[in-house]
Amino acid sequence: MSAPCGLFFTSYAQESALFPSRFLKASMALFFVALVVLPPWMNSYHVSVLCLINIAVIGAVSLNLLTGSCGQISLGHGAFVGVGAYTAGVLAAKGVPFLLALPASGLLAALAGMLFGLPSLRLKGIYLAISTLAAQLILEYVFLHWESVTGGSNGLAVMPPEIFGYAFDNDLKMFYLTLAAASLCALGAANVLRSRLGRAFVSIRDHYLSAEIVGVSLFGYKLRAFGLSSFLAGVSGALWAHYTMFLSPEQFGIGLSISYLAMIIIGGMGRVAGAVYGAVFITVLPEALNALSASAEAWMPGMTSNLMALKGGVFGLALILFLLFEPEGLAHRWRLIKAYWKLYPFAH
Amino acid sequence: MHSTLKRLLLAAALAALSCAPALAQEYVIGSLQDLSGPTADVGKPYGDGIRDGARYINESGMLGQAKVKLIAVDYAYNAQQALAAYKKFTSQDKILALQGWGTQDTEALTQFVARDKVPCISASYSAHLTEGSKAPYNFFVAADYSTQIRGALKYFKDNWKEQRAPKLALVYPNHPYGLAPIPAAKDYAKELGFELVGEENVDLKAMDATAQLLRLQKAAPDFVWIGGTTQSTAVVLKDAQKMGFKTRFFTNIWGSDENLPPLAGSAADGVVSLQTAVSYGQDVPGMKAIEKLTGGQPQMTHYIRAFASMLVMAEAIKLAQAKGPVTGETLKAALESLRDYSPLGLTPPISYFPEDHRPNMSVMLYTFENGKMKLLATQTLERKKEWLGK
Repeated sequence: MSAPCGLFFTSYAQESALFPSRFLKASMALFFVALVVLPPWMNSYHVSVLCLINIAVIGAVSLNLLTGSCGQISLGHGAFVGVGAYTAGVLAAKGVPFLLALPASGLLAALAGMLFGLPSLRLKGIYLAISTLAAQLILEYVFLHWESVTGGSNGLAVMPPEIFGYAFDNDLKMFYLTLAAASLCALGAANVLRSRLGRAFVSIRDHYLSAEIVGVSLFGYKLRAFGLSSFLAGVSGALWAHYTMFLSPEQFGIGLSISYLAMIIIGGMGRVAGAVYGAVFITVLPEALNALSASAEAWMPGMTSNLMALKGGVFGLALILFLLFEPEGLAHRWRLIKAYWKLYPFAH
Repeated sequence: MHSTLKRLLLAAALAALSCAPALAQEYVIGSLQDLSGPTADVGKPYGDGIRDGARYINESGMLGQAKVKLIAVDYAYNAQQALAAYKKFTSQDKILALQGWGTQDTEALTQFVARDKVPCISASYSAHLTEGSKAPYNFFVAADYSTQIRGALKYFKDNWKEQRAPKLALVYPNHPYGLAPIPAAKDYAKELGFELVGEENVDLKAMDATAQLLRLQKAAPDFVWIGGTTQSTAVVLKDAQKMGFKTRFFTNIWGSDENLPPLAGSAADGVVSLQTAVSYGQDVPGMKAIEKLTGGQPQMTHYIRAFASMLVMAEAIKLAQAKGPVTGETLKAALESLRDYSPLGLTPPISYFPEDHRPNMSVMLYTFENGKMKLLATQTLERKKEWLGK
């Protein structure tokens, strides 16, 4: 007899599997193979957009762990990314091997995140958002004024990473490096969500009082959420530092924090896939608009600059439309589309 | 016979094909513009200047048969988008050179343009971009921020009539752009004999500067430097006017422009704006071309500087063309061989050297009178080695 139709779980382990169906496993494997095989045939612009997506995926996954899964709003995520970036830059300048500097960047960012996460015991919601905004401002100030370490307003030059003498000095090589890091981070975050730790995060997000009553140490788990999330943010920052080869305080402003928040809202809060969809959407949107305005030039000469100036508005509009019509994000929409085809032609 | 004819025809066709690109040589220039980001208020006129500069180069036949093709991308003053746009320029559009914009893109791309050998002329005037050894492919057509402020201090000191030391205060945002010229300003003010009596931070988005000005008022400075953008300058000036300040305010290149009088009203009168290009309507050869291109519509000084930036790039292309095929490397060498090149009189003469990319040491001091910018003086300093990159 063939396998049961659709998803039919008979054990808890089955239900919490990362890829519950064989079809999903096969399609994910195919997707990954395509990701590995296709880039050498792409031009360096498209590969560089893929690199930026990989780096954004790590940042978005990390914020999703904290905000989407544990319910701790953070407006300081851009600065935690910055801590990782500057750590990587400084360690690289001191000759620390990349394979050591990468986790070290994560660890220092985790320390910073936990330090600024301390008020989370007393603060919730909008109050916590303001406290993390303070973290953003303080860290930005440090990046700008700790000149002997960060280079201050002159910035800091960083070289491409090297692993055992192999330099990742072009887009394609950086793509594979960032893809490996993004895949590990996404898988790691997905596994955290399936573990005791992840369940504690979700219980705090859903109802902190009930969580405490069933024995979840609020402070301990909130701090762990800040630490883990900032660790991944630091890794994302380290990769950004090596990819752009230059750091300046402006790169880690409040705009970056907001853009990560937009990623998880548009992608879908609390789900790793959501963070990935959001990172792809936010990274590709300006590129798509640029391509659109460039092609519009052919039939509307002189309109390019006007169309391009609308970009900021389009970004805001996309965010509002998602909040209104798809508050659960692209991940939810994707589930609905899958369900539609699974049930087709029967709606119920 | 038949096959010989075929071969001849084929050879002729191949020859025609190989000649065709030489006849219609096209130099692709990428342009990063901020049309939708936080610096769009000045980014838009600068972008217009770049576009019209390209038009002028093509219409005037400045490069002979060759033309420039400008590809503009709005990067919204975002380093990530600048990086993606740059990759598109180099991999898809195969640009020869780049017209950059602000600190975000210029600094983020410094190492990339050096690695890919793409000369970049931008509008980010930080002194550390002038060191040929550290930023070999970065250029700009204005005196750097530090030289601008040094020039103004020199002018004020030379025209100081009283016996006592002139008192100076610095007002700037806690921002990479705001902080960039401060160490140079302090050192040179000390050297010239200014007394530094106050230092305050006013944010670029500030709505009020009363608290900072109250502290400064007690110190009674003769000169106050405002290192922000036009909006924050207007806030400082209006508050100072309310408090009855009797001091000479001066601002750097982005701190005041033709938009200041509408924003600050009469508080703008007497303020000194440091610029590095002529203002619209001044009698220089380039102005005729600009007036023709814009149909007599007044343009901001940022537009004129952008226009001059395109002329400098075209002049270097012309020099490189004369020596052989134009590549990023030969274009960089051509830029570094420019000596006292005047972009149709729109900016002071420009020279670059392999180790020293400071275009000149001249700053133009404008003052606002009844809402109009009027040239007060052009101050030129010595090209001192110890100032390079600082």
